[in-house]
Amino acid sequence: MPLSEPMLTARDVHRHFEGLHAVDGVSIEVMPGRITGLIGPNGAGKSTLMAVLAGTLPASSGTVIFQGEDITRMPAYQRARRGLVRTFQLPSEFAQLTVLENLMVAAPDNRGESLLGALLGKRYWMPDEERLVAQARGLLKRFGMSAKESDYAGTLSGGQKRLVEIMRALMLRPRLLLLDEPMSGVHPSIVDEIAGYLETLRDEGMTILMVEHELHMVDRLCDPVVVMAQGKVIGQGGMAALRKQPEIVEAYLVG
Amino acid sequence: MNTYYAANLLIFAGVDIIACLALNLQFGVSGIVNFSFIIFQAAGAYAAAILSMPPDSAPDYSFQIYFGGYQLPFPIPWIGGAIAGGLLALPVGLVVLRRLRADYQAIALLVTSIIANTVINNARPLLNGAAGLALVPQPLQDQVDTNTHAYQYLYIGLTAICVAIIWFISARIVNSPYGRSLRAMRDNELAATALGKNPSALKMTMFIVGGAIAGLSGAILVGFLQVWAPSTWLYPETIILFAAVIVGGRGNNVGAILGALLVPVGFEEVTRLLTRMNVGPPQLIPALEWICIGLFILGFLWFRPRGVAPEPRHVFPGAPVTEDTHWVEGAHAS
Amino acid sequence: MSLLIAAFGFGLVSMSVIALAAVGFTMQFGITNMINLAYGEVMIASAYLAYYVNQAGVSIWIAMLGGAAFGAVFSFLINRFVYAPFQRKGTALLGMVIVSLAVSLMIANGMLPIVGYFSVAYRERFSHLLRIGAIALTVNQIVIIVLAVAVMLAIHALLRYTRLGKAMRATAANPTLARNCGIPTQRVIDVVWLITGGLCGLAGVVAALDSDSFTIASGAGFLITALAAAVLGGAGQPYGAMLGAVIIGLITELSAAVWAPDYKQVVAFGILVLVMLLRPQGLLAKRGALAAAG
Repeated sequence: MPLSEPMLTARDVHRHFEGLHAVDGVSIEVMPGRITGLIGPNGAGKSTLMAVLAGTLPASSGTVIFQGEDITRMPAYQRARRGLVRTFQLPSEFAQLTVLENLMVAAPDNRGESLLGALLGKRYWMPDEERLVAQARGLLKRFGMSAKESDYAGTLSGGQKRLVEIMRALMLRPRLLLLDEPMSGVHPSIVDEIAGYLETLRDEGMTILMVEHELHMVDRLCDPVVVMAQGKVIGQGGMAALRKQPEIVEAYLVG
Repeated sequence: MNTYYAANLLIFAGVDIIACLALNLQFGVSGIVNFSFIIFQAAGAYAAAILSMPPDSAPDYSFQIYFGGYQLPFPIPWIGGAIAGGLLALPVGLVVLRRLRADYQAIALLVTSIIANTVINNARPLLNGAAGLALVPQPLQDQVDTNTHAYQYLYIGLTAICVAIIWFISARIVNSPYGRSLRAMRDNELAATALGKNPSALKMTMFIVGGAIAGLSGAILVGFLQVWAPSTWLYPETIILFAAVIVGGRGNNVGAILGALLVPVGFEEVTRLLTRMNVGPPQLIPALEWICIGLFILGFLWFRPRGVAPEPRHVFPGAPVTEDTHWVEGAHAS
Repeated sequence: MSLLIAAFGFGLVSMSVIALAAVGFTMQFGITNMINLAYGEVMIASAYLAYYVNQAGVSIWIAMLGGAAFGAVFSFLINRFVYAPFQRKGTALLGMVIVSLAVSLMIANGMLPIVGYFSVAYRERFSHLLRIGAIALTVNQIVIIVLAVAVMLAIHALLRYTRLGKAMRATAANPTLARNCGIPTQRVIDVVWLITGGLCGLAGVVAALDSDSFTIASGAGFLITALAAAVLGGAGQPYGAMLGAVIIGLITELSAAVWAPDYKQVVAFGILVLVMLLRPQGLLAKRGALAAAG
C-alpha cells in the first residue's frame, strides 16, 4: 500500500435517525502509519461516525472505502476480518471470560472456531490453540498483564480493561485501529502508559483513528486532527494550524 | 423399587437432562433467551409419533386424525424427531432472531410458542387437535415384548445412550474455541462483532442444534408415554426448564444436569412421595407441588442466582504462578 | 351483509374486553420493564373476588369496582414484596420473567383450595338483547363497550394531560434521565402498579362477565390474549395495545362470521404471526425496539 494513499476514506457520509442528523456529510481520509485524532464537543457525532466507519451502524448515505475496497454495505464483523477493528468508549470486555480467553476470542485462523471443528475435538484444534495461546501470552507480557491471565475480565480495573481491549484488537493483526476515547475512565497515572503504547504501535507502522477529549493527549499523539461539531467536519490538519483558526477555537478549543 | 417406577424415573430424568443440555447451549452458553423452547421438544415428539404410527385409516387408529403415519421402525422416528426440531428452528430463528432488542425477542418467542400450541390445538386434522396423538408405537416393540422388565431396561439403555451422545456433543461444543466465541457473544455481542464474529450465524446455528437436541428429547419421551397432546407442552414448561438451567448453573453442562434433576425430576418425585405418604388431601398435592416449585425458584434466584454449579473458569495449562508483574512497571520492564 | 354487521357488533365487545387487559399489561412492561406473567392470574383472582361479592347480593357493576380495587392492591403488593426487591438486587429481565412465572404459579395454585375447580358465573350474566339495525347486543355487552371506551379515554387523558402521565412517559422512555430530572421514579412506579393493577382487576371481571362462565384455568387464556394484543401493537405502547385490541377483536369476530367460529383464536394468532414477520417490533413501537447498535 503506497504511503500516499489513504487507508480509509469516508465520502459524504450521513447518518440520521428520528430526524436527528448525527453525522451530516462527513468526508475524511485516514493516512497509513499515523495517529489521526477526531475531536469535537459532546454531541458532535464523533462516536456515531466511528460506529459508521466500523460498521456497527449503517450509513444513511455516503461511501466508506477501506484499502481501496468499498465497505459501505459491509457488516461490522466482515470489516474486522479485513483488518478494520474498533474499540469502544465504554468498557467492553467479555466479563465472564478470563483475560487470556478475551484475547483468544479475537485470534483468527483457529480451526476450533467452527461447529465442525469443535465437534472434531481437541486433537483437531489443539495445535492452532497452542500457537495462539503463545501469541496471546506474548502480548500479555508486552503489556505487563501476564499475572492476570486467568482472572475474569470483569474484575479488572478500568485501565486494565482498556488494555485488554487494545490487546484483543491487536490479536486480529489489524491494519487500522478505531479507538473510541481509549483514555476515558482510566486512572490519570495510567493514561501516560497507554499513550506510550499507542506511540510504539504507530512507530511500528500501525494506523490509528482516535476519538479523544484530553487536548494535551491530542497534542502529543495525533497528527493530523479532524475537528467535528454538530455532525460536520469543521477543520482538518495539524493542531498548531487548527489553533490558529478562530471558528474552531470558538467551537471547541478553549485553552 | 419396582422396575416400572425406576424406568419412569430414569427415562424422565434422561429426557429432562437432554432438554436442559440443549437449553443450556442456547441460553447458558450463547445467551439466546429462547422462550419458545418447548415447541422444539413438541415438534420432535409429534414427528416421532407420525413417523412410527400407522396411517389414521388403520383399524385401531381411526379415532384420531393426523397426517403422516409411515410406520417406520426404530431408530428412524427418533432421528426424525431430531431433524424436525432442527428444521423448526429455521423459520422461527429467521423471524425472531433478527435484530430485535433482547426483551422483545423474548416476548416474541414466548408468543410463538403460544401460537403454535393454539394452532395445533384447534386444527384437528393436523395432529388430532386437543386430544392429541395416542397409541404411539414404542421403539422395537416388534422385537421385544413391551410388557416385560427386559423392555424397560432396553428403554432405559436407549435413553442413556442418547444422554451420553448429547453430553459428548455439548461438552465438545462448550469446551472448544467455538464455545468460547459463543460465550463472548453472550457477554457482549457488539464487542464480539467488532472482533470478527458473525452473531447471526452463531445464534442461528445454536438455535438449530439446540432445536434438534430438544426434538430428540421429545421423540424419546413420546416413545415412552405413547401419547402426546397440546396440554403436554404449554408455555410454562419452557419456563420450568429455564428455571432448571438457572438453578443448576447456566453455562455449565454439569449444572444443566443438576438442574434437570433438581427441578423437573425432583418435584415429580416429591409429588409422588407426598401422594404415597398421604400427606394432605390428594387433589391438593399438585397445587402444593407447584407452590413449592414457585418458592424454590424464587429462593434460588434470590440466594444463589449463579446456580448450584456456576460456569467453570477456563484456565490454560502453563499459566504463570508467581511473578507479580505490577503492570505499570511491567510496561517499561518488557 | 347483516351477518358482517352483527359480527362487527361482537367485534366491538371483543375489542373492549381485550383492550382493558392489554393496556394494563403493556403499561406494566413499558414503564417498569416487567413481563408480568402473573397478570392473568391477578385478573382471575379479581374475577373470583367479584364473584363472591356478587353472590352476597351486590350488583356485579359494584362488585366490579371491588375487583378493580383488589387488582390494584394485589398488584401493588406483589411488586412491593416480590418484583421490586428482585429488581433492586439486579436481577436481569429473564430472571424477572421467571420470578413472575413463579408468582403466577403460586397464585393459581394458592387459589385452588379456596375456589376449587368448578366453573362459576355472575348472577347478572344474562341480560336483555337490544337491537340496533343488524347489530344485536345484550345490555351487559353495551355497558362493557361504554366502560372500555371511558377507561381508554381516561388513560389517554392521564398520559397526555396530567403531570403524573408525563412522569410515567418519561420514566418509560428513560428511567435514569427521568430520575435526574427530578421525577420521583420510585413513586411513579408504585402508582403505575396501582393503576395497571386496577385495570387488570377490572379487565378480569369484565372478561369473566363476557364469557358465560369461568374457572381457575381461564387465567392463562386471559393472559395470552392480552399478551397478543400488546405485542401486536408494540410492547410497552398503550395506544399500540388499544390498536392491537381493536384489530384482534374485530378480525376474530369477522372471521368467525365468515368462516368457522372455532378458529377465532387461530385467526388472532395468524394476525400476530404476520405482524411478527413484517414488523417484529409491533405496529406502534418507537425506536429502541430494534437492537441497539453502538
